[in-house]
Amino acid sequence: MAAPPRHATMQSISNGSTAQGTDRPQTQQTPQAQLSQQSPGLRVPSNRKTIYDRHLNRSRNAELSRASFAFLFGEMVTYAQRRVTGIQDLEKRLNEQGYPLGLRLLDLLFYRSTSTSSSALSSSSTSSSPPNRPLRIITLLHLIHGPLWRLLFNRAADALEHSVSPDTPNEYMITDNDPMVNTYISAPRDMSMLNCAAYVAGIIEGVCDGCGFETKVSAHNQPTELWPSRTVFLVRFGDPVMEREKVLERAGVK
Amino acid sequence: MSYYFTILSPTDTPLFNIAFGTSKGGGDGIARFRFPETAQYMNQFIIHSSLDILEEAQWTNGGMYLKHIDTYPPAAAYITAFLTPSGARFLLLHQPPHLPSSTSTSSGLGSSSLLGTAGSTTRASSSSIAANPTSPQTEEAVRQFMNEVYESYVKTAMSPFYKQGMEIKSPVFRTRVTAAGKKWL
Amino acid sequence: MRRTRVDKVNAELVTLTYGTIVAQLCQDYDSNYQDVNKQLDKMGYNIGMRLIEDFLAKSGVGRCANFRETADMIAKVGFKIFLNVTPTITNWTSDNTQFSLIFEDNPLADFVELPDDGRAQDELWFSNILCGVLRGSLEMVQMQIEAHFVSDVLRGDDTTEMRVSLVRYIEDEMPPEEE
Repeated sequence: MAAPPRHATMQSISNGSTAQGTDRPQTQQTPQAQLSQQSPGLRVPSNRKTIYDRHLNRSRNAELSRASFAFLFGEMVTYAQRRVTGIQDLEKRLNEQGYPLGLRLLDLLFYRSTSTSSSALSSSSTSSSPPNRPLRIITLLHLIHGPLWRLLFNRAADALEHSVSPDTPNEYMITDNDPMVNTYISAPRDMSMLNCAAYVAGIIEGVCDGCGFETKVSAHNQPTELWPSRTVFLVRFGDPVMEREKVLERAGVK
Repeated sequence: MSYYFTILSPTDTPLFNIAFGTSKGGGDGIARFRFPETAQYMNQFIIHSSLDILEEAQWTNGGMYLKHIDTYPPAAAYITAFLTPSGARFLLLHQPPHLPSSTSTSSGLGSSSLLGTAGSTTRASSSSIAANPTSPQTEEAVRQFMNEVYESYVKTAMSPFYKQGMEIKSPVFRTRVTAAGKKWL
Repeated sequence: MRRTRVDKVNAELVTLTYGTIVAQLCQDYDSNYQDVNKQLDKMGYNIGMRLIEDFLAKSGVGRCANFRETADMIAKVGFKIFLNVTPTITNWTSDNTQFSLIFEDNPLADFVELPDDGRAQDELWFSNILCGVLRGSLEMVQMQIEAHFVSDVLRGDDTTEMRVSLVRYIEDEMPPEEE
């Protein structure tokens, strides 16, 4: 299974000689050295439909039974529980499973706001120009509080706050008063909520990291009399992010 | 014009690359770099040496499409960049055909074959995509190209089996990028 | 109105979460796809056992008179409620104990491309959790069935088809020693 000699491969792919010294144009179809050879690809149905043929907005407004999500998520948690040693480990694992979702949702959100007139990212009147990547913390947090939350839960989050303590200027809080509560999960109610929130915390972390903001996000149950399921997502940005923030502030970057 | 397009992960791992030539103005879509025997390595070198500039531009310009960011005069290579919000970098190197002296309408040597039979000399004026890498027309065409690749990229990244930093091997993806190149460049 | 909104969730959250589960299993089982299929079926079975209660409450339907009626209920009510799709019922055997469900749409598989490793397209049944769901939920209403996918567009097939067979009706529990 050793890789074929480079020259032989180049010839077979570019369908012709790449001999030097001739004036034949070099077609350069070969991937560069670090990349493996082109694969023949997956089988496709006879209609040749692949993921590339499916419009990314096709399921944009589709809804499904909340029970379906709850059942699936419940199994995900039960399965994860068997492979971990404690609640912290479990939450770490759920966080890790949410993380790649954050990266995907980020790309999806931006794609949707570039491809349609009604922007998924903002309701501003100048929606014809494509949205900007967040460069500053506050822009990023607004993206999470608004568009991301709407994509996931069909509404914005309830609050966005900055830590008042001078010791922790890197801490921000996103609050959901009534997060999607998973009443179907057979685990204790509080517990299941925290599980679900750990998953969402992972999603948030993925979004932040994707945008270049190194972050740790954790979920905390902070019930009030009015909102027994109130959950706070604590977003803690890393030092390099805070340093850059100062530089950008001085440079007047919004 | 010859193009070398590459996608790099946020940590500079190459995920995809392809070389092609202009299809506008009667071009045949085949890349003809000036130094064919070293082009592949040269192109990578030039692209990687533009990354510092890209990282600077990344934090001053919030757009996804950053337009022309760097030029490498020894190879007359121009670099245009597009950043996905999740940190992947799309980089397009363009190299105009080698023209004798500075006249763009010359019928001499390599340029005549590049323009092909359909391409009149007026099409090769300095504002055309085939000749001027920094003209507004070119920047707009590259924008369209990048947007189209972005769409395919998002489709790739949405699959649960695709993990950030994984090489994109799908031949369908390659076909899509080729088609976008043909359509806009 | 409020009530129905509350019961709904963004379909893509479900799709992406299911994808996450399958991808995680593939990683945990080191791409041993047979084991992944089994684990998905097992998860589905657990879900099915609990889902039936929700189904009966939501649909308000009673007991089915025969297996043909059961098939209708699964396709037109069950899948409609939980996945918002209505698979086509076809290919009945003459004794009315086996049928196929053809999925025109399958939200679980939206956005999905199987790994290009030369094996996944031959070995992994991406939506296998659905087989377990049917098995688990029907067992709760006294039907032992067997379900498996026979084709999947993700594998390059032209259709996504699940084969469902009635094994037996489970009589009221007998003491084990009389078996």
